[in-house]
Amino acid sequence: MRQIAGDILFVNLTNGTWWREPVSKNVLLPYLGGRGINARILWDHVKPGTDPLGPENVLIFGAGLLSGTAAPSSGRTTVTCLSPATGLYLKTSGGGQWGAELKFAGFGYIVIFGRAEEPVYLWIDDEKIEIRDASKVWGIDVRETDLAIKKELGDADIQISSIGPAGEKLVRFAAVMFSVYHAAGRGGAGAVMGSKNLKAIAVRGSGSVAAAKPVLFHETTILARKNLLSDSAAQGLATYGTSGSLNGVNELRVFPAYNFQRSCVDDVYPLTGQYLVEKGYLQRRVACFGCVIGCHRYSTVERGVFAGSYAGGPEYETMSALGGGCGVMDTAAVIRANELCNIYGLDTISTGSVIQWAMECYEKGALGRQDLDGRELRWGDGEAVVRLVRQIAFREGFGDLLAEGVKRAAERVGGDTYKWAVHSKGLEQSRVDTRSAKSYALAFAVNPRGADHLHTETFAEFGLSPEARALIKTITGDEKYANPYITEKRAEIVRWHEDCYAVTDALGFCAFSTTALYGITPKLMADLFSAATGYNISEQEIMLAGRRIVTLEKCYNTRLGADRKDDTLAWRLMNERSPDRPDTIAINSTAELDQMLDEYYSLHGWDLATSRPKRSTLNSLGLADIADELEMAGRIGKE
Amino acid sequence: MSQKVVSANSQLCTGCKQCELFCSFEHEGIYSPRLARIRVVKFEEKCLSVPVTCAYCERPVCEEVCPVGAMKHDPATGAAQVLEDLCIGCKECVNVCPLGAVEIHPKKGTAMRCDQCKGDPACVKYCPAGALQYEPLAHTVRDKRRARVTAWSLD
Repeated sequence: MRQIAGDILFVNLTNGTWWREPVSKNVLLPYLGGRGINARILWDHVKPGTDPLGPENVLIFGAGLLSGTAAPSSGRTTVTCLSPATGLYLKTSGGGQWGAELKFAGFGYIVIFGRAEEPVYLWIDDEKIEIRDASKVWGIDVRETDLAIKKELGDADIQISSIGPAGEKLVRFAAVMFSVYHAAGRGGAGAVMGSKNLKAIAVRGSGSVAAAKPVLFHETTILARKNLLSDSAAQGLATYGTSGSLNGVNELRVFPAYNFQRSCVDDVYPLTGQYLVEKGYLQRRVACFGCVIGCHRYSTVERGVFAGSYAGGPEYETMSALGGGCGVMDTAAVIRANELCNIYGLDTISTGSVIQWAMECYEKGALGRQDLDGRELRWGDGEAVVRLVRQIAFREGFGDLLAEGVKRAAERVGGDTYKWAVHSKGLEQSRVDTRSAKSYALAFAVNPRGADHLHTETFAEFGLSPEARALIKTITGDEKYANPYITEKRAEIVRWHEDCYAVTDALGFCAFSTTALYGITPKLMADLFSAATGYNISEQEIMLAGRRIVTLEKCYNTRLGADRKDDTLAWRLMNERSPDRPDTIAINSTAELDQMLDEYYSLHGWDLATSRPKRSTLNSLGLADIADELEMAGRIGKE
Repeated sequence: MSQKVVSANSQLCTGCKQCELFCSFEHEGIYSPRLARIRVVKFEEKCLSVPVTCAYCERPVCEEVCPVGAMKHDPATGAAQVLEDLCIGCKECVNVCPLGAVEIHPKKGTAMRCDQCKGDPACVKYCPAGALQYEPLAHTVRDKRRARVTAWSLD
C-alpha cells in the first residue's frame, strides 16, 4: 500500500525542516488519494480566519493514486489550498510528467507549511530532500526556470513544478505549472506558492511504483486502455485536441463570446483545433504521463508580428478566453498570449476573462484611456491582449488592477461594471455559456471553488456521442434527458458527475477519460483501485468515496461561512438573455436555479435553507468528526 | 538485412512514456522508467520527445568489449541477450555504447539492454501514438523514403 500511494512529505519553510509519513489505511480507504487526501489534509490544517496569502495557508500537492503506473491517462496532480481568488476551498489540477516522477521518488504528497525568508526551491532527489536558494531563478519565467534548475542540478531529465512572475507578484489567478506547459491554473494556487517564497519543486525519482496485485492490475490497465481508445470521440480528441470541439460548441450556442454578450462567434474556424492542423500551426501532439490519447498540443507561429512564438496548447478554454471571448479571431495572437500565460504562470481562463471585462468597460465608457495607460482597448485587438497578459503578470500599470481578478476589479471601478464581471464566488467562469446548458449552470453554481467545469464536467448532457447518451440513460433512466435545455434531472446528472469526478481526480485520471470520453468507467476505477492497493472495493463504494470527498469540500466552505446564497451564477447570466438563441430558455434565472438547487441539496441530504450538510448525512458518509466540528461552529445543517 | 529492429519516429512520439512502463513491467514486474530498456528523452520547452533504445548495431561494440562474453545474440533469433550469470557489471558496454542504450541494473548490477521481448516488443505493441515500429530495417527505410517523397510530390 505504501508503494502505490507514496509517502507524505511535510515541509516547513519557516524553519527549514521536513519529515515524511506514510499514508495510513484509515486515510486511504475513505479518501482514495490525490484530491481526496489533499482535502482531508486541508481540513485538518487550514482553519477559518486564515489569510490565503499568509504563511498559515498550506499548499498541498497530491499525485494521483495511480500516477506512475500504466493505467491510461492517470498522470494528473492535484494542488489544494485556500484560494486567494475566492477565499474558499481550492483544488486545481495539472498534467505533465511531474506527479509520476514524484511517485518514482517514493512520495505521493507534499504539504508545504509556512513561508521562507528568501526565495527557495525544493529539491527532492529520491529520499534526499533539500531546500535550496532560488535567488538566481526568482523573477524569471517558467521556461527559463525549468532550464536553469536542470542546469544547476546537472540533470536535464528531472521534473519541475514552478511558478512564473505572476505567482511571485501574487496575481490572484497565478498558476502552478508542471513540466513547463501544464497548468494547475484555476484559483490562484500559484500566488499561494509565491507568498511562501517557493519558486519551484524539482524532483528526481529513480524508484518504482508497484501494485499490490501486479498482474491483475496490469491486465486491468490493458482493458482500460482498450475501452478508452475505442470511445467514439477518442480519435477526434487525439487528432484535433480539446479545441477540436469548438465548432460543435459554437453551433450549440454555448461558446461565450465578447464577454458573454454573445454565445457564439460568426466564424469560429480560426480558433479550432482543425485550423491549427490545417494551417500548419500544430507541430506535434503531446501527452501527459501515461496518456494514450495525447490531446495536448505544441504550436508555433512562423510568420507575422507574433513569429517566433512557441508553446504547449492552446486548449479549448484558452481559444475561448483569450480568443473569442475578447473578440480576437487571430490564431497567432492567441498562440502568443497563451505562450505568455504559460511562461509567466497565469491561468488563461481568468486572464482572458479580466481582459474581456476591461474591453467591455472601455466600450461602455466605464474605463477610459486615462485608466488604460493612455491606450485604447477594443474588441478583437490581439496585440492589446498580448500586451495586457504581460502587464497583468508583472502588475504593470493597468495590469495591476486586472491582476486582482474580475470581482475585485469591478468593485474598485464601481458603477455597473459588476454586471459584466462574469464570475461566481470570485472565480472567473470557464468557457461554457450556462444559459443554454442547465447541468453546467447547476454544476457551476454549486462548485466550491467557483464557476467552472472542473469539479463536475457534465458534457454528457449534450448527448453528442452514443456513450454520452448511454450514460445519461444510466443516471436518469431515459436517454431523453440528454437535453441541456431542461432543468429536470439536472440534479441527478450533476451529482453523478461530482462523484465520478472526485474519484477521477483522486486516482489521477484525466476528466477527459471519464466524463468527456467515457472509457474509464467507475467500475474500472474500482477494479484498478482494488488491484493497486489490495483492498477490494466495489463500484458503489468508490462512488460513495467520491461523494465523501465532495461533501468534505462542501463542509470546508460551510465551515468558512459559505451558504446557499453563494451558490449562484454571474449577474449577466441570471439577468440577460443570450441573443444568439431565439427561444426563451437561454437565461439562468433565480427561479430556475432555485428549483435545481432544491433538488440538488435534497439529493445530497443538505439543509435546503442554508445548503449546510446535515449530521445524519455526514454520519452516513463516515464524516462524524466533521459534523462535530461544524456543530461546534454552529454551522451544521438542520435535520 | 532481415533482422528486425525497434525504430522510433520522434515526430509522432507524444512523450507519454507508456513504452517505458510496459517495458519495465515486462522485464521486472513493476513500473519504473529507470528499469526500462527503452527511454524517452524529452525537451520539454519544445514538447519534443525522442525514444532511445538498442539499435542492434551491425558491429555490436558492447559485445566486442565484454571481457566475459556476457553480451550475446541468440544465434537462432538474433535477439540480444545479457547472460546475467556471466556479467560482472564492469560497465565497459555502458561506456562504449554510443547511443546510451545500455545501462546497469540498479539492483542486480548486471547490464540491461533491449531483448525485443522475444520477438514481440511490448513498447511497440503498446505505443498509443504509432511512433515505434518493429520490422526489418529495409521496411522502415522503404516507408520513410515513400513518406518523405509523398509529402512534397503530391502536395
